[in-house]
Amino acid sequence: MSPKLIFSALTNDNTMYLYNEFDQTLVNERVEQFRDQTKRFLNGDLTEDQFRPLRLMNGLYIQTHAPMLRVNIPYGLLSSKQLRMVAHISDKYDKNYGHFTTRQNIQFNWPKLEQVPDLLADLARVQMHAIQSSGNCIRNITCDPLAGVSEDEIVDPRPYCEIIRQWSTLHPEFSYLPRKFKIAVSGSPKDRAATQVHDIGLHVIKDPQGNIGFEVLVGGGLGRTPIIGKTIAPFIAEADILSYLDAILRIYNRFGRRDNKYKARIKILVKETGLDTFKEQVEAEWQTIRHGKLTVAPEEIQRIKQHFNALAYDTVDERILEAHSANSGAFRQWLKQNTALHKQTGYRIAFISLKSPNSPPGDISDVQMGLVADLAEQYSFGQIRTTHDQNLALTDVKSSDLYPLWQQLSQHQLATPNIGTITDMICCPGLDFCSLANASSIDIAQGITDRFKETAIDTGNISLKMSGCMNGCAHHSIGEIGILGVDKKGEQWYQLTLGGSDSHQSKLGARLGKAIAKANVVDAVDDIVQVYKAQRTDNESFANTLERVGLQPFKDKVYGAH
Amino acid sequence: MALIKNNGLVQEPWHMINEGDALQPGYNLVDMVYWQANKAALIAHHAAIGLRVAGDEDVQLIAADLQYFSLIAINFPTFADGRGYSLANTLREQYGYSHELRAVGDILPDQALYLTRVGFDVLDLPNKASANLALQKLRAFSGFYQPTAV
Repeated sequence: MSPKLIFSALTNDNTMYLYNEFDQTLVNERVEQFRDQTKRFLNGDLTEDQFRPLRLMNGLYIQTHAPMLRVNIPYGLLSSKQLRMVAHISDKYDKNYGHFTTRQNIQFNWPKLEQVPDLLADLARVQMHAIQSSGNCIRNITCDPLAGVSEDEIVDPRPYCEIIRQWSTLHPEFSYLPRKFKIAVSGSPKDRAATQVHDIGLHVIKDPQGNIGFEVLVGGGLGRTPIIGKTIAPFIAEADILSYLDAILRIYNRFGRRDNKYKARIKILVKETGLDTFKEQVEAEWQTIRHGKLTVAPEEIQRIKQHFNALAYDTVDERILEAHSANSGAFRQWLKQNTALHKQTGYRIAFISLKSPNSPPGDISDVQMGLVADLAEQYSFGQIRTTHDQNLALTDVKSSDLYPLWQQLSQHQLATPNIGTITDMICCPGLDFCSLANASSIDIAQGITDRFKETAIDTGNISLKMSGCMNGCAHHSIGEIGILGVDKKGEQWYQLTLGGSDSHQSKLGARLGKAIAKANVVDAVDDIVQVYKAQRTDNESFANTLERVGLQPFKDKVYGAH
Repeated sequence: MALIKNNGLVQEPWHMINEGDALQPGYNLVDMVYWQANKAALIAHHAAIGLRVAGDEDVQLIAADLQYFSLIAINFPTFADGRGYSLANTLREQYGYSHELRAVGDILPDQALYLTRVGFDVLDLPNKASANLALQKLRAFSGFYQPTAV
């Protein structure tokens, strides 16, 4: 019983939070707890109904073919050592690949239930786990994948993600919520964490005096009822953030609907209660606990921040990159499309595309994982980020190293120059793996990739997101082109939406028209792209073109043709 | 039914009193409807009073009479319904309730630790085997990130 909140942070790594003995013990104990629960279930001592929430709180679903295990990657940050273990696990317990999700986690589609405890024990050896990666509890805290390195950042959100991670892990009061609960944190004006479509979105900001705090958004979400989150508090001081989150969670736990799982998310509670009344309830609750045990002391914040210090950057001769660039057109294309500027002169952010024409979006093989782990060690301080778009990033690469990095990535189908383009699509596993899906998504993705692989860069950046059912795991509602699989009398049909956005001003896409038969989906997407290319002026973006010309020309082309 | 308290099995001293039952000399447990209808009689009876409520009971209704209760039993209609956890935490933290707080209804041994961590000090398990398992599960973790409720 700690008299005040003390965070766990005692390791000597100063650029990434690594577990100390306390965290390690907790994860090990969790493995043993789950081992016992699995054993009791297999022995018949726990019923399926009893085991379900327990296994879900450990990331384990029962899927179409086999269990699916989702493993947390807290705020999308992995070490090379951890990625090597993930590769090892995909080899030992799965079919030599893993699938990265839109919430920066990784999923295994083929583990055997009786082997899951051993798998978790292997993961625990590198401080990884599946705690609360599913179930009606507080899920993995997600974050801007470019935290700490992007040019436009106001405050690095990672230390706050770590503070919230610790507070929410094995939370005794909030583990049997009405429904799942997702929190995302961003520290930049450009939202790369989809904070507006989370149950709670946090924007780290500074007040005019330079004090750090959070703009708190509540009630966003996708799925059957997509809603953009609204600001419930414009500024909550960093010391108060946990008590404020606690107040929101308690109001939700007490009053969120439990009679209908499709109306159980906090977005429905906020909508039905009204934001103003909901805010009053939260504020009243908060006043009773503010300044209490959950107050985050400045020295604790400082202590956690010491684990996210800036890396030891060198000076880099930029002329080397210029020379590399002059020599190879293919490298230039990759450089333009798959890298981004870094706040540190001489460094770049390199994205690793997991949207190659040869594999489903977000999938990566064990061999590729091993290679990425090595390259991260060689070129990017041994750290890898997972992105909301189901790609990876090496965020701290010297510009002079980009060429050799690209060469090695190319040899392993990891350098497809398509970041941000139509073939860099977000896609759920769909009917092929998921028991909830109405329609397949992987084969459609393949069709789109085949159609656009030569022209994607010329077409310009378009975000395409495709979900196999209205649960919307692939965030189709906020895709510039959204595709939703629906079931019509046993046949797979697809509903298209246009104009969604997940950047700073999130927006839901508008329905193009009636659903389209599976055989015509790729043609319909092609029609949409052709209309855009015909209508755009100069470098006009897809969103701006759509805004200017409206839906009609797109409708005419798609439905005129089919 | 098997009760655990202070890391051991304990006997049940309480009598559930329904409408029409005679009050017992020692420990009378009533529901909210009974309490609201028979407050004066219960107080005059000079025996310990326990109140059994649902997890979604209006906390202010309980808090208004908190001084009279030696036991508050919170019922879990299903083990997946987490409202009782917040009610327990609120009674302990915000209203300073310090007497027995009991979890009853559909609870799993696997939940024993979280239940005690939000302030329950007595758990009512379905049988002796599950109570013994719950006692083991209370020791599943040796440390926590959150400060405790009590």
